[in-house]
Amino acid sequence: MLFCGVKFCGGCNPRFERRKVLEQLKEHFEGRIEFAYAQEGIVYDILLIIGGCTNCCASFSQYTTKRGNIKLWDVSHVERVIEELEGQLSLADDAK
Amino acid sequence: MLMTGDQYIESLRKLKTRVYMFGEKVDNWVDHPIIRPSINSVKMTYDLAHDPEYADLMTAKSNLTGEVINRFCHLHQSTDDLRKKVKMQRLLGQKTGSCFQRCVGMDAFNALYSTTYEIDEKYGTEYHKRFVEYLKYVQENDLTVDGAMTDPKGDRSKSPSQQEDPDLYVHVVEKRDDGIVVRGAKAHQTGSINSHEHLIMPTISLPEADKAYAVSFAVPSDVEGLFMIYGRQSCDTRKLEEGADVDLGNKEFGGQEALVVFDDVFVPWERVFMCEEWDFAGMLVERFAGYHRQSYGGCKVGVGDVLIGAAALAADYNGVSKTSHVKDKLIEMTHLNETLYCCGIACSSEGYPTKAGNYEIDMLLANVCKQNVTRFPYEIVRLAEDIAGGLMVTMPSEKDFKSDLKVGKKGETIGELCNKFFKGASGVPTEHRMRILRFIENMALGTAAVGYRTESMHGAGSPQAQRIMIARQGNIEAKKELAKVLAGIK
Repeated sequence: MLFCGVKFCGGCNPRFERRKVLEQLKEHFEGRIEFAYAQEGIVYDILLIIGGCTNCCASFSQYTTKRGNIKLWDVSHVERVIEELEGQLSLADDAK
Repeated sequence: MLMTGDQYIESLRKLKTRVYMFGEKVDNWVDHPIIRPSINSVKMTYDLAHDPEYADLMTAKSNLTGEVINRFCHLHQSTDDLRKKVKMQRLLGQKTGSCFQRCVGMDAFNALYSTTYEIDEKYGTEYHKRFVEYLKYVQENDLTVDGAMTDPKGDRSKSPSQQEDPDLYVHVVEKRDDGIVVRGAKAHQTGSINSHEHLIMPTISLPEADKAYAVSFAVPSDVEGLFMIYGRQSCDTRKLEEGADVDLGNKEFGGQEALVVFDDVFVPWERVFMCEEWDFAGMLVERFAGYHRQSYGGCKVGVGDVLIGAAALAADYNGVSKTSHVKDKLIEMTHLNETLYCCGIACSSEGYPTKAGNYEIDMLLANVCKQNVTRFPYEIVRLAEDIAGGLMVTMPSEKDFKSDLKVGKKGETIGELCNKFFKGASGVPTEHRMRILRFIENMALGTAAVGYRTESMHGAGSPQAQRIMIARQGNIEAKKELAKVLAGIK
């Protein structure tokens, strides 16, 4: 299972419901990706950064990932993020 | 340690803060119906810090301890920190529709951190070291601190020492081996009763003759000799009415101001951060005011977001949401509100490091920000009233809407008649319309108007104070040179 850290921006004026998008992703990847709110000192396979607007200002340099970050700042990005995460899952399978 | 909202409430209960209201002592001020909404607003600053959806704005890593702390206790370490401060304030304005009171402490921390550094540099004093130790204590315990600046000031044409009553500005009345004794008062103190600590600063630049008034210090809110007299707000006693809910407009949240009296309060030296260094009073005032003028580009914008939403709902409920002039008014409100936000973000983005290392805002842009805040919320609220209609101030009470008293010829009750005649758009319950109109009333001329209107005018300095700063920072001579060059004047 892929371990994905999640970091929200602070939500000062979000253009969409960020938590709802995360729930959507959790549902899609149920049993394949474990999503957890990002914490320092934990190594994630990948970090998902969910911003509420185009600035996507969440700080994330403090977190450690093996395969970098994916940013999402609009609901229209969900499809792209799903593709990227599917790709990460395939890479993980190939590595096995 | 990040306190939770509930822990914050419990921490207040442990204080023995002396509070007076309507001429009487209030013993259980934490649960007092007039005071509690303002405590709930501060509580929100604690609750959101624990929510992953908001933590990026609500928390920061302390440069003093390396620990994650509430951003309200943070020293800004970059322009990004300055921007996040403004965004956090917008967020809290949205969540409370009120003044959430904790900004004054944050702005005082940042102003004192840099000013004490520069006092020590000149005089070889140890104020900065003391202040750092104090701030570590605040950060580690996640305290709410009232950054208190405004003195009552008496006759404005006279300096502090020229006043008939010397106590109209906080001043040192005794210097002892172990500390100082101070006397006076601070007026309009936002969130003072809800604060664990008070951090005092002088209110104006001072000449040497007024050096006894050049004093900055911190004391617990329940220190011996300190007490508060609660400031009343328009419509405040609605909160005392039985079963009050709809009529309050915003039942959960509110702001708070009080007169804070220092009746010969002893302050140990380790809590003194300025004592008679009159030539630094102006620097401290200017820096605190600068940060606080930046703050208004966040907090008032968040409250404005809520008011715009309320006006749009009123339009829906009145059945006029598709009317072109109503749409245009909502656009204008948004334009004005986002202009304020632009100012808050701009003065943050143009920030710079002080000698002490924390970041200062761009003073000109922060003053422009606050100058706009003295105007735009008034226009936003005027447009909200325009959209809402007169019913927001002529509507019967909640009790009438719920009354079973039969008064009609066919046995209709007062409640039935109110619901019949105040119905708006089809499909919208009359109570929803009533609720949103009362909400707008609250912000326009009820308890929340203190924060959204008059505080916008006078908080962080009245309009003329910003104009003086704009004049000082406006770089007119350079502009003259630009014109001369283009006009061919040598």
